[in-house]
Amino acid sequence: MPLPLEGIRICDLTWIIAGPTATRVLADFGAEVIRVEHGQSVDAIRLGRPIVGERTTLNNSGFFNYFNRNKKSMLLNVRHPMGTDLLRRLIAESDVVIENFSSGVMESWGLGYEELRALRPDIIYCAVSGFGHTGRDKAFTTFGPTAQALSGLSLMSGLPGRPPAGWGFSYLDHTAGYYAAIAIMMALHHRNVTGEGQQLDLSQVETGMILAGPAILDSSVNGRSWRREGMPPGNRAWQPAVAPHGAYSCAGEDRWLAIAVMNDAEWEALIRAMDEPQWARDPKFATNADRLANQDELDTRIETWTSEFEDYEAMELLQAAGVRAGVCQKASDRFERDPQFRARGWWTSLPHAELGEAETDGVTPRLSVSPGAPRFASPLLGEHTWEVLREVLGMTDEEIAEQDAAGVLM
Amino acid sequence: MSGPLARLRVLEWCDELGQLAGKLLADMGADVIKVEPPAGSSARAVGPFVKDLPGSNRSLNFWYHNTNKRSVILDIEGNGAEAALFRNLAAHADILLEDRRPGLLAEHGLSYAELCAANPGLIHCAITPFGQDGPWANYASSDLVALALGGPMMMNGYNSEDVPGAPPIRGHGDQGYNTACHYAVQGTLAALLFRDRTGEGQFVDCSMHEALSSTTEVGLPYWFSARKDVIRQTGRHAAATRTDEWLHQTGDDRGIIIYGVGRDNASWKKIKSWLQSEGFGANFDEPRFDDPRARQQARGAPEAAEIMAEMGRFIASQDSETIYRGGQERRQPWGAVRSPEENLADPHWADRGFFVGATGEGLDEPALMPGAPYQFSATPWELRRPAPRLGEHSAEIRQAAADGRWP
Repeated sequence: MPLPLEGIRICDLTWIIAGPTATRVLADFGAEVIRVEHGQSVDAIRLGRPIVGERTTLNNSGFFNYFNRNKKSMLLNVRHPMGTDLLRRLIAESDVVIENFSSGVMESWGLGYEELRALRPDIIYCAVSGFGHTGRDKAFTTFGPTAQALSGLSLMSGLPGRPPAGWGFSYLDHTAGYYAAIAIMMALHHRNVTGEGQQLDLSQVETGMILAGPAILDSSVNGRSWRREGMPPGNRAWQPAVAPHGAYSCAGEDRWLAIAVMNDAEWEALIRAMDEPQWARDPKFATNADRLANQDELDTRIETWTSEFEDYEAMELLQAAGVRAGVCQKASDRFERDPQFRARGWWTSLPHAELGEAETDGVTPRLSVSPGAPRFASPLLGEHTWEVLREVLGMTDEEIAEQDAAGVLM
Repeated sequence: MSGPLARLRVLEWCDELGQLAGKLLADMGADVIKVEPPAGSSARAVGPFVKDLPGSNRSLNFWYHNTNKRSVILDIEGNGAEAALFRNLAAHADILLEDRRPGLLAEHGLSYAELCAANPGLIHCAITPFGQDGPWANYASSDLVALALGGPMMMNGYNSEDVPGAPPIRGHGDQGYNTACHYAVQGTLAALLFRDRTGEGQFVDCSMHEALSSTTEVGLPYWFSARKDVIRQTGRHAAATRTDEWLHQTGDDRGIIIYGVGRDNASWKKIKSWLQSEGFGANFDEPRFDDPRARQQARGAPEAAEIMAEMGRFIASQDSETIYRGGQERRQPWGAVRSPEENLADPHWADRGFFVGATGEGLDEPALMPGAPYQFSATPWELRRPAPRLGEHSAEIRQAAADGRWP
């Protein structure tokens, strides 16, 4: 089947997670993504756990493999003047350049937007950084958790009266990557229509604030902060304020069922599914307002019920009655037990020289005519150096060997 | 009209789940028509509301997610004739975005097959909790339930010694819906680029469940490569084993995320002189602190524990913004735990023009909300119109639909 982004070449200067997430999306949809890697300053995720085997080889990280499937890797010593020349030639043959260095690094290499444009007039140049390439704090830097803290998402995630729980992973590395992929595809469409390229500047902290819009409006319109008594409300609902709404303990070790009752009809359905317990008919739980007012007791009652059940069993029972309920699934649950993923063929594997048959997930959303696909596993460091120089830059083997001997391809 | 999606026509039939996808297209220039039932989208009933007074046109949540759209009332589920108007609009649309349950459009003669027969270039993106098929396709979901099943929640929570019995935690902000929409827009744009090349439209099946499962970072790799589930930890990443704390409490009773203290000599020198200038870490000049390996918490060296204990005292003597800025000025990627609205006072975002003015019923002057998630040099993000009042554009759109043209 055809791939939707066939024929699009991405010069990928990204590392860690945010940038590689963007190029993962583009590669999944068929773009030719060429990771330009420098052996003296290798992507730290190549060393990221989990690894297969006792010690790192730069090619045995399952973490790296997950974010870098469907991509090529070329080694290039960008601190060597001949290396920079090759990078310029690659950029001239690329539709998109993407990087997630600190603000100012590309300029220091003589590869600011104007210079990129001189190499390729319709280039799309996407920069992903912590704070963007303008503004007084543009030199500040982030990891995902930094951006989550500053944007407010960490504070919005936790139990009241406790420190924030987190997000538990770099949610904003994913999200900044998604916005970068979206921006690049929008810019490609604009280029298709007009022939014009452009520069795209993304701040990871801004993408976090984008995801907290209603909370910010509640402050600017109603003067309310999330830093107040009872906030954040844990798993209870903020808006719309409904109850019950939470994660309830089930039989077994660390097993939880999320239940969300959005209205009185769903409350009725929950009562029926629980087999009409007497307490549920108490007038203090009759309306949503009543349930909100008596939420502590309500949650205790429901948890007493769920704790008698195995989580999947309770979920199926509640779903059969039309109640919104879902197991808090671990990775093992998603992979081993989730019938929905299995039925839709979500899991697959791709052969990798050091990881063996490396498992991975599918591509969503699913396009009916030109779907994306996991096609090949992540590249070994420099696996495609010769191929790219030969096929993209049209160099002869003698020319490549010359560069290699000069220490450019490392 | 400007924006990279100028001249693109989008028909949107979405509530809470899919509305962000329409906004992302509309904000970049697409002409998005939002179809609503006579009572209005259910998203209009989601607070907070202007001055806490509920009303169809007073939901701040709705305002935020429906900028740059037009609104038309079509009673598709109540009146068969209304489906014909929808069909006429779809015949002239480039993109249809909808978040109805699987099969609902087909029940009204609006399946992709029927719409595509009249408009082969149509890109029909359906956003659902679990996708169009499979045993859970008709399961009832919500943002909470989706974050549970998809995996993010189980990675987020507390060490049991910090909060005994704490459940996994759902981060707020409807991030399940948001993530579904990010993927929906990615797929829709990929289909658009395919259409640019071939003229051919297609159906795009976007599952929130799949989108969230692909948004769990190290969670899946640990299972794939090591057959381990990561464990939840307070204020930091879930991991295979317990790791060092990142979250610390500052003197103003706020949080700060710090990591990498003493990792390399250059940054250690800067941090050491900063602490000493404030009267902390007097003994850090002792040679035993000179070796980077002695300063690594994970290696269990007593010096590392001493450093972190003194850091804790230093941090507790300062406010969170001071530690944040002081750290960043010393090239440390640390962050203050802010409440979202505290960013309104940070001049860096004003330098970038990030916040823009929301307007609407009950508001005397514009109130600030987040604007562009990305800065495009040639075709910038633009707020052309606020979220529509319910049925604000019904007359012009219904007339055009009846005439068989795009309004």
